[in-house]
Amino acid sequence: MPVRNKPLVFWCAAALGAASLLVLGNFDPAGSGIFPPCPLHALTGWYCPGCGSLRALHQLLHGNLRTAFAFNPFAVLSLPFLIYGAASHASLQIRGRALPRKFIPARWIWALCAAIVLFGVARNLPVYPLNLLAPGGMLRP
Amino acid sequence: MFCPQCGTSNADDAAVCVRCGRALQPVAGVVVQPGFQPGVVVPNYLVFAILVTVLCCLPAGIPAIVYSAQVNGKLQAGDIAGAQQASKNAKMWCLISVGAGLLFAVAYIMLIVVGVLSRH
Repeated sequence: MPVRNKPLVFWCAAALGAASLLVLGNFDPAGSGIFPPCPLHALTGWYCPGCGSLRALHQLLHGNLRTAFAFNPFAVLSLPFLIYGAASHASLQIRGRALPRKFIPARWIWALCAAIVLFGVARNLPVYPLNLLAPGGMLRP
Repeated sequence: MFCPQCGTSNADDAAVCVRCGRALQPVAGVVVQPGFQPGVVVPNYLVFAILVTVLCCLPAGIPAIVYSAQVNGKLQAGDIAGAQQASKNAKMWCLISVGAGLLFAVAYIMLIVVGVLSRH
């Protein structure tokens, strides 16, 4: 995480993030065509590990944790970590100090990387129970 | 030893502070590069890397996470210069991912606009 203070970049990113959340909360990516589709899915038809994350965020903004989880479990699980990282950045800008950080051993990050790749492969396989991992897979009857 | 930046107690042989990542005083076996300044923090951009993997362009998000892992691996080994190089690469792949994602989004929006205009 950069420790140098870059106020302009930070506030632009914060404003962009807030605006995106506002749009995302008011328009469902599942129905409205205003959100760009996943490039990988548009080009190849395969789901990537990020597919469904916008729909998941939309559902989360409406308080539907289970539906959000069904669209992209990885995005929902990584959200607390991302929010903490964003909060740390905000704290650095506002108070001049980042939040306490724990050094993550490299092998955990390698494991995370492997998990993301495996998740990306698994959600494309039309085999039960792996197909539950496809976006919305857990919502099918 | 205590970290001079955040005051966290660290193992005496720690190369970097477990809390803030600050390089601690030169340890036996660590080659200090010329131009290396103690107190330098090596960011691993892991939060950024995960964010772009989930929201932007996947093929560029994976190398960002790989370099992020390398940053921490090299810090653990005491290789500050290597960690700084990996940190630069992690940042670069994050920015490539954001750039590719934005490019795709802009192209998509332009296609929609062109489509709407051509209908009239």
